[in-house]
This record gives sequence, structure tokens and C-alpha cells, in this order.
Amino acid sequence: MRHTLAIAQRELLSLFCSPVGYIVLAGFWLVTGAIAIWNAEAFGPGKPATLRDIFMWAPFVLTLVVPAMTMRALSEEYRSGTFETLMTAPVSDAAVVLGKYLATLGFYGVLLVGTLIYPLLMEVFGNPDWGEVLATYLGLALVGVAFAAYSLFASSLTRDQAVAWMLGAMPLMLLVLSVYNLVRQFEGWQREVLAQLNIMGRFAQFARGQVETDAVVFFLAIAALFLFLTVKVVESRRWR
Amino acid sequence: MIDVRNLSKYYGSRCAVDRISFTVGERTIVGFLGPNGAGKTTTIRILTGYMPPTSGTATVAGYDVLTQSLAVRSVVGYLPEAVPLYPEMRVREYLKFRGKLRGLDRSQREAAIARVVERCWLREAVDRPIGQLSRGYRQRVGLADALLHNPKVLILDEPTVGLDPAQVRETRGLLRELASDHPILFSSHTLSEVEAICHRIIIIHEGRLIAAGTVDELKAQTAGQRRLHAVLKAPAADVAEAVCKVPGIKDVRTTANGDWTRVDAAAAGEALEPLAGLAAARGWAVRELHQELPSLEDFFVKAVLAARAARPQ
Repeated sequence: MRHTLAIAQRELLSLFCSPVGYIVLAGFWLVTGAIAIWNAEAFGPGKPATLRDIFMWAPFVLTLVVPAMTMRALSEEYRSGTFETLMTAPVSDAAVVLGKYLATLGFYGVLLVGTLIYPLLMEVFGNPDWGEVLATYLGLALVGVAFAAYSLFASSLTRDQAVAWMLGAMPLMLLVLSVYNLVRQFEGWQREVLAQLNIMGRFAQFARGQVETDAVVFFLAIAALFLFLTVKVVESRRWR
Repeated sequence: MIDVRNLSKYYGSRCAVDRISFTVGERTIVGFLGPNGAGKTTTIRILTGYMPPTSGTATVAGYDVLTQSLAVRSVVGYLPEAVPLYPEMRVREYLKFRGKLRGLDRSQREAAIARVVERCWLREAVDRPIGQLSRGYRQRVGLADALLHNPKVLILDEPTVGLDPAQVRETRGLLRELASDHPILFSSHTLSEVEAICHRIIIIHEGRLIAAGTVDELKAQTAGQRRLHAVLKAPAADVAEAVCKVPGIKDVRTTANGDWTRVDAAAAGEALEPLAGLAAARGWAVRELHQELPSLEDFFVKAVLAARAARPQ
């Protein structure tokens, strides 16, 4: 556990020391800000004080942003060779992966804290439903938890940061957008299956203030699966 | 402290290390020699627990590298070849981080960092970002990291590559000092370096162990090849006849040059004294008399060539 925390701390430091970290933060805040202004009705007189419109596209934006947070995590260690010093210290592979993951979540937390400006503004100018706000943030957190695990997995596959970002962002974007669009085109069991995978739809539930157990399990299961796979990829140097 | 038996490593079907065995005892510096691509780094990575062998066993300080990998890693101090470091961290931050990974608590860590900073001459660099350091300083940071937890065994992969001559000398001095506390295995392809500081030498080539022994033992194996040169004031025919009779000297060639005769011969072992005795007994003046010292380089080249010749094609 101490190792995990030491690794997480170093990783966070390196995120805050690199331009990538600040570009990610600024980029995400800029895009959510632009969407908030674009959907100015959210702050229009007489409109409900809800975050729904501001964060509606958040899962899509996160498919680009979260892989940028993790793209260095393992790729850069492979490329620079620090992976070797790390793996010849008395640290387990799982501790390394978990440490990197915790750091990513910590950074993601900072990213979310920056958006608290919107509910605070709503509190000043209106009367938001804090239950709904809480559910929205729970949804954002869960999307991040799942995406971060997948993106870390992408980073474990390559020594090239740019490739790691593409391996992370493209499949996520494809999944989020295509399922969101396809789910309306199908009927019956196909629609049922697609609805399960509909990350935009699941997030929209949270944004409406609806916390469903199956959605929580869905995101946590994705995170667990990809963390497990990442540990396996890191271990694979032993049998390759 | 290091015991390697029949160690092999295959990358897919390519054999990188082929059944090598050797040991490294207490308080010794062992040089691990071989041409580039001979399997030195692979062997070292197995010994440091980075990857397991395909077959064979290796123990470091009594721990098996395959089944007790974490224990091995906690007693080994390792300096990888390219000295990979995090450029965005400051030296002190990096050493703190490494200390945490080594399981040192705060006070142990502070003491350990103070010790290695002193030992590796890092005092002026300790608060600078690693990315701004010169190659020599980076090497010292790597070495400081390897020494941080007072390892039982030090394994260094080409520790003096890329250093300037003064730094090479400093590093060698440091290694000699360290050897009194820790056995050291270090790889190199600089023969003079190995000759200067190692007690024992292991030579591998194409994954196979081709020679092992002390510097003197290995040199003695090339002794048969030592060349002898002399310039004596005497007629060439007399010299040729007399020198041939000195035990151990053969392959005598003489060249007359005025009053002087130049002698080139091959000698097994020490031949200077008998030859000087002969010249004195005959009353010949001696202008030049020397025997080439056996060098490790001769041995190395010979061993590598022999291994190449013996390889089934």
C-alpha cells in the first residue's frame, strides 16, 4: 500500500510538472464552459437550475481528455527505461498499476472540482436540486473511473505516448458516439443490448438525478476488468 | 552471494543466454565482459528480478530470482545501462521516491539520502532537476539510488560508459571502496577497466560463457604467446645458436644490423632473466631487452575468436 501511494504521488507530481496536465485541465474546462454558454438557457430566467445541459456532452469530451491524462503513465516509463528501475525495486506489478491509476483519479478529481463553479453559480442565482447535482457528479466520477482504467490499459500496450492516446481515445469515442446514435435505430433485444452499453444514456440517468445500481456496477466492472488486464500486460514481460 | 547455474534465456526462439554458470563471492568485484549483444544485459536483468530465466536457476544472497523475486529485488542495488531517471524530478525528490519504494521510513530515508549524496559527490546537484544534469551527474544519481538501501549485492550495467576520463577514474575508485562492503558484478566492454579493478572476470560471447577466472589466471593462458625482443652486440649466427638453447624460447629470428643483432622470439613464461644471463656470460652488450606483457585484450580477442571458430555453422 505504501508503494502504491509513493507511486501515485510521483505520478501526480509528474502530471502537474508536464504541460500535458495543464492542457488537459484547460481544455476540459474550456469545452465545458463553451457548452455552458452555448446552452445559455441553463442560466436563463425561469429555467430549471440543472446541470443536465452543461454536462450532457461530458462523456464524449472525456473520451478525449481522460486518455490524455494517462497516455504518459506507462508508455513513458517503457520509452525512457524507467520501467526497468521501477520493476527492479521491490514493488509488485499490481502496486505500480494501482498507483498510476490512483494518480489518474486524483488528477481527474481536480478536473471535476474545477467545474463546481456551475452548481455554485446556480446556487447564487437560483435554487438547484442538490440531490441531482450530487448524482450528476457521481455519474461523472464513475465515467472517469471506467475511462481511466481503459486508458491506462491503452498506455500499457505501447511505448509511444501518441499511440497510447489514440488507442485510448478512438475506441472510447467510437463506443460512446456510435452506441448513442444506434440505440434509437433498433428495436427489441438489440436495443436492450445497446442500451446496456450506452454510456451517454447511463450518464444522462445520473444527470436526471437517477442513481441506478446496475449503472454503478457497469462502470465499476469496466474499471476492474481493464485494471486486471493492465496488470496482466505489465506482467507479460516475464513470459514474452 | 550470486550463484548462477545453467541459466538460459530465450526470446521467442532466439537464444540470448545459453546455459551459463558462475558465482560471485563476498567482497569481490567481478567483471562481466563480452562484445555487444553477448547477453550481458539479459543475464543482469534476470539477476535483478526484472525477468525470469527460461531455464536454470540463479540465487542472489540466497534468494531465488524466480520464486523470491521481491526478496531479490530488495537486497540488490542495480544501475541499469542507460541510467533511466525521471527528468522532471529533482535529485532529492527522486531519491525520496526510491527510498519509499525500498520501504525506508522517513528517518531512515533522510539518513540514507545524506549518506549516498555524500558518497556519490552529489551535494551540489541535490536540489536540481534531473533533466538539467550532465551525463556524469546522472550516472552518480543512478549509483546513489543503487546504494540507497545498503544493498547486499551491487549489479551495475556498464557503469562508466559516457563518462569523461576524470569521472571514470572517480567511479572506479568508488567501486573499489564499495567492494569492501558489497560484492559487485559489473558489465563492461572496456577491457582496461575490468583489468584495473576486477578481482575476477567472466567472459561471455553469444550467450555462452567462454572464460572465467582471475585476471592473472586468464593472462597466464595467453602466456605462450608472449613475444620477446632483444638487441645484442654480437654476430647474428652466434646469437641465433645460443638463444635457441635457452629453455622456453623458440621461433627465433635474428636480423643483423651492423655490429648489432636484433632478436625476435616467442617465449613461454618468463624469459628475460635467462636471456640477460646468457648475454652477460658471453660478454655481449645489451641495447634492448623486453618481453611483451600478456594483456587481457589478447586473451579476450583469442577467446572470442576461438568461440566463433568452434561455433557449429
